[in-house]
Amino acid sequence: MHADPARAGEAVERLLDLALAWEAPGGIRALSGVADAMRGMPGLVSGLRPSSPEPPSPDRVASLLAELSPAATAMLRHVDAHGGEGTTGSARRTVSPEQAASPAEELISRRLLVPRDGDTVVLPGEVGLALRGGRTTTEPVDEVPPLATTSRDPALVARTAAGAAFDVVRRTELLLDHWGVQPPSVLRSGGLAVRDLKLVARELHVDEVGAALLVEVALSAGLIAEGAEPDGTPAWLPTEEFDVWSGRPTAERWARLVGGWLASSRVPSLVGSRDQTGKSWNALAPELSSGLAEEARRLALRVLAGVPEGEVLAVGTGVASVVQHVEWLRPRRPAIFADLVTAALDEAAVLGVSGAGGLPPSGRLVADDDLPAAAAALDPQLPRPVDHVLLQADLTAVAPGPLETEVARRLHLLADVESRGGATVYRFTPGSLRRGFDAGWSALEVRDFLAGVSQTPVPQPLEFLVDDVARTFGSVRVGHAEAFLRADDEAALAALVHDPRSRTLGLRLLAPTVAISTSPLDVLLPRLRELGAAPVVEAADGTVRVSRPDLRRARGRRGRRPAGAVSARQAAQVQAVATAIRAGDRAESSRPASASTTTPSDALAALRDAIEGGTTVVIGYVDNHGATSERVVDPRRLDGGRLSAFDHRADDVREFAVHRITAVRPA
Amino acid sequence: MNDGPLIVQSDKTLLLEVDHPSAAEARKAIAPFAELERSPEHIHTYRLTPLGLWNARAAGHDAEQVVDALLTWSRYAVPHALLVDVAETMGRYGRLRLEKHPVHGLVLSSTDRPVLEEVLRAKKIAGMVGARLDDDSVAVHPSERGNLKQALLKLGWPAEDFAGYVDGEAHAIDLAEDGWTLRPYQREAAQSFWDGGSGVVVLPCGAGKTIVGAASMAQAQATTLILVTNTVSARQWKDELVARTSLTPDEIGEYSGAVKEIRPVTIATYQVLTTKRKGVYPHLDLLDARDWGLIVYDEVHLLPAPIFRMTADLQARRRLGLTATLVREDGREGEVFSLIGPKRYDAPWKDIEAQGYIAPADCVEVRVTLPDGERLAYATSDPDTRYRLASCTHAKIDVVRDLVRQHANQPTLVIGQYIDQLDEVAEMLDAPVIKGETPVKERQRLFNAFRSGEIGLLVVSKVANFSIDLPSAEVAIQISGSFGSRQEEAQRLGRLLRPKTEGRSAHFYTIVSRDTVDADFAQNRQRFLAEQGYAYRIIDAGDLTAEPT
Repeated sequence: MHADPARAGEAVERLLDLALAWEAPGGIRALSGVADAMRGMPGLVSGLRPSSPEPPSPDRVASLLAELSPAATAMLRHVDAHGGEGTTGSARRTVSPEQAASPAEELISRRLLVPRDGDTVVLPGEVGLALRGGRTTTEPVDEVPPLATTSRDPALVARTAAGAAFDVVRRTELLLDHWGVQPPSVLRSGGLAVRDLKLVARELHVDEVGAALLVEVALSAGLIAEGAEPDGTPAWLPTEEFDVWSGRPTAERWARLVGGWLASSRVPSLVGSRDQTGKSWNALAPELSSGLAEEARRLALRVLAGVPEGEVLAVGTGVASVVQHVEWLRPRRPAIFADLVTAALDEAAVLGVSGAGGLPPSGRLVADDDLPAAAAALDPQLPRPVDHVLLQADLTAVAPGPLETEVARRLHLLADVESRGGATVYRFTPGSLRRGFDAGWSALEVRDFLAGVSQTPVPQPLEFLVDDVARTFGSVRVGHAEAFLRADDEAALAALVHDPRSRTLGLRLLAPTVAISTSPLDVLLPRLRELGAAPVVEAADGTVRVSRPDLRRARGRRGRRPAGAVSARQAAQVQAVATAIRAGDRAESSRPASASTTTPSDALAALRDAIEGGTTVVIGYVDNHGATSERVVDPRRLDGGRLSAFDHRADDVREFAVHRITAVRPA
Repeated sequence: MNDGPLIVQSDKTLLLEVDHPSAAEARKAIAPFAELERSPEHIHTYRLTPLGLWNARAAGHDAEQVVDALLTWSRYAVPHALLVDVAETMGRYGRLRLEKHPVHGLVLSSTDRPVLEEVLRAKKIAGMVGARLDDDSVAVHPSERGNLKQALLKLGWPAEDFAGYVDGEAHAIDLAEDGWTLRPYQREAAQSFWDGGSGVVVLPCGAGKTIVGAASMAQAQATTLILVTNTVSARQWKDELVARTSLTPDEIGEYSGAVKEIRPVTIATYQVLTTKRKGVYPHLDLLDARDWGLIVYDEVHLLPAPIFRMTADLQARRRLGLTATLVREDGREGEVFSLIGPKRYDAPWKDIEAQGYIAPADCVEVRVTLPDGERLAYATSDPDTRYRLASCTHAKIDVVRDLVRQHANQPTLVIGQYIDQLDEVAEMLDAPVIKGETPVKERQRLFNAFRSGEIGLLVVSKVANFSIDLPSAEVAIQISGSFGSRQEEAQRLGRLLRPKTEGRSAHFYTIVSRDTVDADFAQNRQRFLAEQGYAYRIIDAGDLTAEPT
């Protein structure tokens, strides 16, 4: 091995302890299964290959190597560096060293490359060993790749991390508040639509990668889950946990997020990229996880924790050096592991676990998996929550720090956010105040709240704005009615409205001459007539629509055809047709009722039969939410992939998508 | 955690808490590179923009200073991305330099070869530069100096101009400081302009921009071309220069629609320069008529686009821009930066006011309610006539009368947009009107009479908006105004901000119809004034009589 003997000894001891190798009489040997497991794996460290069954002595190999032409030596080194296998092309297999015409033949003739099967030649282990000067690898393997670091003020590291930590908590809260009101729907495949992710990104002023991370972290921390909207469509909703979470101090909330992130198998960094089949990954999709993610994060943090205080990863080269370091520590992880480590470092910076490329005290505690202590360490670094704002005459309110949750919520309702960061700038507009009134605030409450929350007197223009909005609020009222009643005779209208028999019609007087009803026109009209009124229907343009019973007429016959030959032929045809039909009917009745059909073509055939026969069938149908139900229907028409049928349960004609019909059987 | 007065937001705004004990220091530290956006009573908002950072760079500040100022005064952690962005943006200025080469004339050179390669590859630049002299420099045709600077700014690599200026034809000009002296900030402004070579001086209306111009001319000691917005203001410049400098009326020429004189000091209007006949600008020759040593642009924020193009050819002459605001409604701030020069001096209005040079103004919005009949007419009218209906309501006339009565002994201006309404008001108040059709001579007579106190009340249409010095006005009543532009507001307030004799405060009334588009525009005005830090009150027309003066 190309390594320090003492270290090699240690490694061997370790292997023996793990029982991956054993002390055989002829020396230490690996367990037979180990070699099999190692073979063909990517990321193989050593170029060691099985030796020939009867290996020549090392001296012999060395002398053979010395005979080679430079071209053949180069070729051999190339084969060695690229896995120890190659193809020979046109090289002859059986040549003597003297006859060799090409570098490949030179090598084969000296058995420095051994033909295996087909065109393949392999490099025997002893040759490779000789080529590397008697070592298993060309590069030393016991030197841990060093981390590239620069020095940085620890206070700056802590402040940067605290700023990021504060930001991530604030953004998560904003996101979930938003989703609590307008939840995005869950895709059929279980993820979050790209469009919804873009909305989140815009809302939170982050890029889509950042948005994906926030969403995924919220999921890992158990703050969102799949739920259902009132109409049953699945949607991503904040959990009840969120309510508990949002009431906690910022540092604790942060610890919860970080805990979720650290232990989760989710891979937010893949969102937006494409998998092997070219399908792009959606955030929150169930497949978006990897068993290696957690290990990658913990390892990355542990490596980072190894950097002494006052030092941070160098800009540019730092991350790459961590990846190399981790690859040395875990040589047999698949290639994606390096990506996961890189992503973990990025995520740690966004989450405020690390800052400016180094770990602050709170981050070190996270690396030790002591989250409560990490939260306690972070707490003094966070901006103190404030309970007041500064109101200004340009109709803005500035909160000079993070607002207490309750105040922030209320202010959020009454004003629009103009700028975020350490402080928040709110702007009052007629629209934002109206939102407050819509939520049930009164002008007095708004003014009291503003006076209470402001450290300075409420500016006069703001008071005017509140009063102005209050004055116009609700000056136009909107409601729902099925029909209106208009009468110039106020007494007649009043009598109708107050008539006890009209109570079921839901009449309400809006003005002396106008009433509305919650009953539709076709119910209202006959009832009013029963009550002795003589209403006329008014069209949308205000004109009176007169209705009178339709006069019905049949279409007269158009001339008579001469009887005789024609009628005789028709009679014969009718006879024949009737006979055929009867035969069909008999056949039909004698055929046993088929069991439920399942293949689409069977279902289609069965449906066509039912249409032809005008029979009633039971179909199995999958609805929009994936639930299967059975419907009793009379199929009517089948075209364009849709079945139009009379649904007995709905008592109406319904359309069914044929591809969602799972089974058809006779009723 | 730091207890600084500054909060750095992630959207590149800086919030400064004014009442904080170290607010003044922090303001001084950030003022060179951040643009003051709003200055209401408690928290001032500054914004970091590339132009602002480049202006700071041009004034000799470097990225380290900026980052240090932010970190020192910030209360919370400064977003890392923002610091990186600041450093990167500032690093872009000055990588390219325009220099005078003893052999090749004007050259564009760079200390950073890839940058030079990058810009030379841009299609727009390729046509403006000549032969490649060596790896780090390329020849530039002198006539492309302005265009090149403009194009480079658009590419995000603004060039520093070290190519110097022509001295121009010498002409003796001295300040005649008899009975008055240059105010400290005026001296400072003129000095920093001169040290910087070319650039813009930002001073509020009434802070004496004309004097800064005169002081700069005295520095230059050379023939000067002054470009102003209109004829009336041209005459004012002339009067002021005669009064404040050693120049005699014979040495100052006016070049306008009416008179075309070219003298050692020539004052031309933007309008005459931009007049186009048969596709050419016939008066463009003026720019080369003499070997000007200094070109002064009054009200840079109104500089019309054609003048920009002409200015591009004048890069070898010293250029002084004077303005109250760098904000241009057309967003061409970048062209001012590259063609006239970076900001050389800036003093926030409130600071100068606090120094006692400008009277504080009391801004009041008076709300009138439309009578029922007019309200109905308003509600059913077309959107394009609504504004006129709302602003011309008769209810306003009564309010004007009440206000004029309240301020009976103070010189008062009534400002409006609609001629009919102005005529009606003038008739009711028995006061003279100045409108578009009033001849210049008559206008001047009226303005002079107002200034001397002969007339105590003047009704003016929009024409009075720009650059007319009516320092004696103490009360302005705005009855209608076009669509709430910020500039117009600044100008109107400017009328009143000129220094007052007895330190009395000026009053600025706007009369607004409640619940109409008029009120919506008033909202913009209110925001603008409040952002400028003015106290703003709203009163109901009904309460007006109870209001103490």
